[in-house]
Amino acid sequence: MRAAALQVGFLIISSILLSQSVGAVEPLHQRIDAHIDAASDNWMIAPRSDDAEFVRRIYVDLAGRIPTIEEVRSFLHDSTTDKRGRLIDRLLADSDFPQHMTNQLHIMLMERLGNDPEWEKFLLTSFRENRPWDEMVREMLHANRENEDTRGAAYFLTSRLISEGAMAETDVPGLTRDVSRLLAGQDLQCAQCHDHVSIDDYKQRDFQGLHTIFLNVKQDRTATFPAITEGLMSKKHEFMSVFIQQQEETGPVVPGAGEIEIPVFQEGEEYKVPPDRKKKIDGVPAFSPLETLARELAQQDNAIFRRNAANRFWFLMLGRGLVHPLDVHHSGNPPSHPELLEELGQEFAAHNFDIKWLLKEIALSETYQRTSRLPDGQEPPPREKFLLAHQKRISPEQLFESTLVATGERRTSQAVRDEASKAEDEKTDAFRQQFVKLFANPPREPETEFEPSVQGTLFVLNNAQVQRLFERRKGNLIDRLASLPNENVADELFLSVLSRPPSPDDRADVDAVLAQATDRDSAISQLAWALWSSNEFFLNH
Amino acid sequence: MLYSHLCTPREHHLSRRQMLGAMGGMAAGLGLAGVQAPTFAEDLARNEKQVLLVWLDGGMSQLETWDPKPNTRYGGPYRSISTSVPGVQISELMPHTARQMHNLAVVRTMKTEDPNHSSGVPKILRGQPKDRGVVYPYLGSAVAKLLGPTSTGLPPYVWVKPGSGGFISKHAGFLGAKYGALAVGNGKPPENLVRPESISNADDEARNDLRKRLNERFAAGRRRDYGEANSFVFDLSEKLMQHADLFDASQLPANDVERYGKSEIGENMLLARGLLEAGVRMVHVQSYGWDTHGDNFNAHATRVPRFDRAFAAMMHDLDERGMLDNVLVICMAEFGRTPRINGSIGRDHWNIAWSLAMGGTGIRPGVVVGETNAEGTDVKSQPYDIGHMFHTWYSALGIDSQRTEYHNGNQPLPIAHDDYQPVRELLT
Repeated sequence: MRAAALQVGFLIISSILLSQSVGAVEPLHQRIDAHIDAASDNWMIAPRSDDAEFVRRIYVDLAGRIPTIEEVRSFLHDSTTDKRGRLIDRLLADSDFPQHMTNQLHIMLMERLGNDPEWEKFLLTSFRENRPWDEMVREMLHANRENEDTRGAAYFLTSRLISEGAMAETDVPGLTRDVSRLLAGQDLQCAQCHDHVSIDDYKQRDFQGLHTIFLNVKQDRTATFPAITEGLMSKKHEFMSVFIQQQEETGPVVPGAGEIEIPVFQEGEEYKVPPDRKKKIDGVPAFSPLETLARELAQQDNAIFRRNAANRFWFLMLGRGLVHPLDVHHSGNPPSHPELLEELGQEFAAHNFDIKWLLKEIALSETYQRTSRLPDGQEPPPREKFLLAHQKRISPEQLFESTLVATGERRTSQAVRDEASKAEDEKTDAFRQQFVKLFANPPREPETEFEPSVQGTLFVLNNAQVQRLFERRKGNLIDRLASLPNENVADELFLSVLSRPPSPDDRADVDAVLAQATDRDSAISQLAWALWSSNEFFLNH
Repeated sequence: MLYSHLCTPREHHLSRRQMLGAMGGMAAGLGLAGVQAPTFAEDLARNEKQVLLVWLDGGMSQLETWDPKPNTRYGGPYRSISTSVPGVQISELMPHTARQMHNLAVVRTMKTEDPNHSSGVPKILRGQPKDRGVVYPYLGSAVAKLLGPTSTGLPPYVWVKPGSGGFISKHAGFLGAKYGALAVGNGKPPENLVRPESISNADDEARNDLRKRLNERFAAGRRRDYGEANSFVFDLSEKLMQHADLFDASQLPANDVERYGKSEIGENMLLARGLLEAGVRMVHVQSYGWDTHGDNFNAHATRVPRFDRAFAAMMHDLDERGMLDNVLVICMAEFGRTPRINGSIGRDHWNIAWSLAMGGTGIRPGVVVGETNAEGTDVKSQPYDIGHMFHTWYSALGIDSQRTEYHNGNQPLPIAHDDYQPVRELLT
C-alpha cells in the first residue's frame, strides 16, 4: 500500500518539481526545502533549531569551532529577524573560514595519508581567495609549477605515488581509485580486475581507462615541492579481465567525458620539452593525459563531476550525502533526492563553482536549520529523508579548536592568533596533533560518521594536558567561573562549553554540586570537565 | 600488470555499516558482542575459549627446537633430548619445554608460500586464504571478531610486544579498525590508561556521574545510536582502567619473574598469563630477533633457552590452573630456517619444511604430526599449509571453520582457506 502511494506521490512530486525548476526564480535554499519537504512521505518534519542550537552548529560548520561565550550571548540577544542570514555571511567572510575549510578538505581529500606545507598553502590560498572548485580540482590534477601559492596542489597526486619501502611498488591503482572516488564519486576498486560483480555501472574499462592516465605519472624527485612528471603516451593500454581471458585495450578515459584519442605526432614533435638524460630532465610530452583529465573532468558540463561536488559539499553541511556513501554513485544506489542533487550540481556549476555561495544557500535552508531533537513521542524519520538534523561527527580539528574556546584557552579568531608568539603556537600544535592522532580515523578510512574509540576516551578521562585545561589559571574558564557567585555559575558554564543556557535540571545539578562542595575550585573543574566530555560536546548536532 | 591488492576493506565500508544498522558506530575502538551475528552472541555465552599466540618473529630455527637432526650434514652442534612423551625428541636447548611435551602437539611438515619477512609475516598471521581482493585480518583480530570479548568485557585482543604500544588497527584488515590490537609495548600500560593522581576516586566518580546525567538528558528526543556508542566506549575504558595493573610489567610477582626468566620474553609471557587469567580473549606475545642469517648457533644458544623457560613456565601454569581446558596455545613464526648453513654460520629463510607447536583446548596433546627427511631439507609426509592450521585452530575453538563466513558488505568470505580442512590428527 505504502509503496503504491509512494509511487503515485513520487510522480506528482516530480512533475511539480519539473515545472518548478523550469521557471525557477526562488533562491536555491528555498528550492532545497521544496525538494526535501516534497519527499517527506508523511514523516514528521522536525521544527527549526532554536537560536542556541543554530549558533553552535553554524560556528562549528563554518568556523570550525564552537562560538565563544560572547559570540553566543550576542547572537541570543540579537532580536532582529534576519540575524541567522547575517551570521552566515559574517562567518563566511571571517578569517576562521579558510583555515576551517582547509582542514575539512584536507581530511576529505587526503584521508590522513599525510600532509605537506605546500598542500596546505594551496588549500588555504584557495579558500582565502574563494577560488572555484573546478579550478582547485584542475590544479590538483595538473598543477601549475610556476605559481608558488598553488603548486602544492600536486600533493594530491604525489602523496599517492610514494612507495612504502624498497620492495613495495608504487600504488598506482590506488591513485586511480582515489581520483575516481574523490572527484567522480565512483569507487571503481572492484572493477580493477574485472567488471564490478555487484554494481552493473562499474566496468573494468572505466577503471583501466582512468588508470591509463596515471601509468605514466611519476613523482618529480628533483623538485623541492610536490610535483609530478608525465611520460610519453603513444599507444593504448592493454588489459584483461580475470573472468574473460581476452586481451582488450583502452586509451585514457575521463570519467563523464569518455575515451580521449591519443594524438599522433610527427617524429621529433612528441615533446614540448625533450628529455635529457645527462641533465636528468624527464621532458614534457606534447600530449598530457593529466592536463586532459583536469580539463575534461573539472568543468561545468561534466555531470559526474558536478554531482560529486554538490554531494560532497552537501555532506559537509548536512553530515550525510544525498548519495550515500559519498563514493558509491551508480544507478543501483540512486540519490535520496535525485532532482535536488541534479539541481544543486547545475546551480553550483552555473555559479562558477562558487563554494561560499553553495555553502550559504545550504546553510540558509530550513533543511540545514532543523533541530536534531525529536518532538516528544515521535519516531525518528529515516536518515536519508533529511527531516531531522543529523548529529554529525566533529572532526579532531573542530574538537580541538572547540575545546580551546570552551575552556577559555583561546578566545580570539585566527587573524589574532596568527600574530601570537611562535613558541606558543608550537606547543599548541603538538596538542592539536595529539587530538588528530587520537580522534582521526586510520589512513584511507573516510571520516564520515561518529566513531568513538577507547584511545580517545582514555585521553578524555586521564590525559594530563587535558586535565590542566580544567585547572584554575588566570583568565581561563575555571578562573572565570570561580570568581562568580554560585547563582551565576550555571549560566556562564553552559554558555561557555555547550553554547546554550542551562535547563532547570542542569541548573539544579550545578547548584547541588556547588552547595556540597568542600573544595569549590575542584567542584567547578569537575563540572566543566563533565560538560566538555559529554556527548553533547563531542557531536555537531 | 600492476595488480596490487586494491580491493581493501573500504569498498563496502558503509554498506557494512548499514548492515550493522544502529549498532554501526557502537563497537568503535574495540570489538564487542553487539556486532556479532546472533549465532555468535549465543556461542559467546557458552564459549569462554581463549587464545595465546607466541610469535617468534624473524623465524625460529626448527632444527634448534622442534625438529632437531643431530649428527647430520646440516644438524648443527646441538643434541636431541627425550621429552615427557616417549619417543618424541626435541633440541637440548629446550629442556623445560621437553617436560611439557605431553601438553603440546608439534607439526613438523609446514610448507608455506613465502620466504620473505615483509610479505610472509602477514600471510602466516592471516592464514593466507584465497585472494578475494580483501585484506584478511590477523589471527588476533579474527578471534576478536569471531568470539568477541569474554564475559569479563575486557578488550578481546591484546598484543604484548617489545617496543612501542598503542592501538594497532592494521591487524584488523577488512574487519575495520575496531578489531585492531591493543598493544602493550615494553611492559608499559597503554597511554592514558592510568588516571592522574590529582584526581581522586571520589572526584572521578562525581564528574563521571555528572557526565552521564548530561548524556541522558541530551539523548532524550534524539537518535540514540551515537550517544550510546560513546557511552559504551567510556564503559569499556573504565573496565580497562580497573585492570590497569595487568598491563604493567612492574607489578609482576617476583618469584614468577624468576621462574619465567628475567628476559624480555619471560616478562612478556608473564604479562600474558595475567591477561589470560583476567579474561582477555586473545593474547599475542611477540618476540623479535630470530632472523639469524649470521651466527645462528650462538644466537639460538642464547635465545632458545629464554624462550624455553618462559614458554614452559606458561604451559606449566596453564596446566596447573586447569586453563588448558579453555586456552588454545599456538607457537610459531613466519617460517623456519634453512638446513643449509651459510658462509656466515647462519641459517636463512626456510618455508619448505618447518615446524610449529600448539596445545591446550581442543588439541590432542603429545602428538607429533608429519616427518621431514633425514637432513630436514624437505617434508617426507603430507605437507601442511598455514590454511590447514587456521582450520585446525578454529575447530579447536569450537568454530566451524568450513561453514562460518565473514560478511564484508554483501561479500561473504570464508574465515580460512577454502581448499583446506582441519588436521584431524591434531584435534581431540
